[in-house]
Amino acid sequence: MPSRERDASEVRVDRCVTGIEGLDNILDGGIPRGNTVLITGSVGTGKTSLCLEFLVHGALYGENSLYISVTESTDKLLKNIIPYDFFEDKLVKEGQLHFLDLPVIYDRLGLDRPEFDYEEINILVDAVVNLVGEMRIRRLVLDSITSVTYRLKSEEILREFVLKLGSRLSTLGCTTLIVSEISPTGERYSTYGVEEAISDGIVVMGNLERRGDLLRTLQVVKMRGTMHSRAKYVLDLTTTGVLLVPLLKGGSVAAGGA
Amino acid sequence: MRELAARIAQRLMDLPEGSAVALRMGADQYFDTIRGILDVYCPKKELEALYVTSTIPSRSIINALDVLEIPLERIWFVDCISQIMMSSAEKHAHSIYVESPTMLENIMLKVEYLIRKTQSRGAVIIVDSINSLAIHNNTKILSEFLHIMVNNLRSKKASTLIFSMEQYENEDIRNMMNLVCDETITVEAESSG
Repeated sequence: MPSRERDASEVRVDRCVTGIEGLDNILDGGIPRGNTVLITGSVGTGKTSLCLEFLVHGALYGENSLYISVTESTDKLLKNIIPYDFFEDKLVKEGQLHFLDLPVIYDRLGLDRPEFDYEEINILVDAVVNLVGEMRIRRLVLDSITSVTYRLKSEEILREFVLKLGSRLSTLGCTTLIVSEISPTGERYSTYGVEEAISDGIVVMGNLERRGDLLRTLQVVKMRGTMHSRAKYVLDLTTTGVLLVPLLKGGSVAAGGA
Repeated sequence: MRELAARIAQRLMDLPEGSAVALRMGADQYFDTIRGILDVYCPKKELEALYVTSTIPSRSIINALDVLEIPLERIWFVDCISQIMMSSAEKHAHSIYVESPTMLENIMLKVEYLIRKTQSRGAVIIVDSINSLAIHNNTKILSEFLHIMVNNLRSKKASTLIFSMEQYENEDIRNMMNLVCDETITVEAESSG
């Protein structure tokens, strides 16, 4: 496509502004609305904090936002949340920011078996999509898909789950972040490699050791529907939100260079 | 002492906002320079002073400011040296800490954090000093750090003042400062006459 036409089409992309200034700059203005994005990384890299900030900003912009916790109870989560300068209690009280525990949804749906089959996956997807529709949710976080995958018998069922959930939420105009836990040495962005293949975007968060210093990093590897930086950034989790600066290369060139 | 501080402040007053300035000095002019910036220039311009120290712990500078009767309300420190010294000194409310002067990205992040916390009422960033940072970092990464930080601050209309102690300068440091700074001010000792 000629660059002028391409530029014009990119301008028309409806963006979900994350509110994280550095990330919005990386993404050329925000996540294309309706995308399902995998937020992946090992423990302690800031995945949950990034996702929570995304939701809080959404609620502040007047977009109903929902956090679905799979492992940690939301009560515990809220106790440990960073005391953001921009957080307002009324966001929760007035129903713009919602928190739900997935095990509670399992109970309500009677999904008590240790492993889910196709039928149960469909029930779960329907329940989440109905919630999103009824509550007019525009931003959703599922933290984490890794814990859900323990109940899925095969990669095919996992594929079905992510694909159906992502496409139906996208139809509703809901932008979804799915958290994925990986090991620090993992070569894939998700447990089975399925989630990364069918998501619209991948944001990798990591710990980079450099001469004994441990830096938190963020890199957008893929994002459909927008131009974006693919460079690695260093981040800090602060009460003013996630801050990002470019990773310094120190004049490094290819391996073996100066 | 006050005369030299006033002269330094006057030189800085004439600079446009968003400037990057190398302040070359001898050890004898160190506290005069600090006084000129923190006690004269910043109050007159109503600027927040964000003081990045990798030379001596922020607590020592705060103690010196106390002796000089310079108020601390609008002075904030990014202290890159206390933690690496494994100092048990009590943390100060006006200091935030970076684990090591090698964590240059974290210095930028803490400066950004302070700019946000102070609501960007207009700020000047003091880097004390290029020589102590050069002890812990090679020239390439240090040049990259200064280049990115100065330009980022410039876009926010914040000025950067970079201290360089003349007796510890070398060719690499001079080249680096020439590259990133708009101006060099050499702080001369007061003449006795």
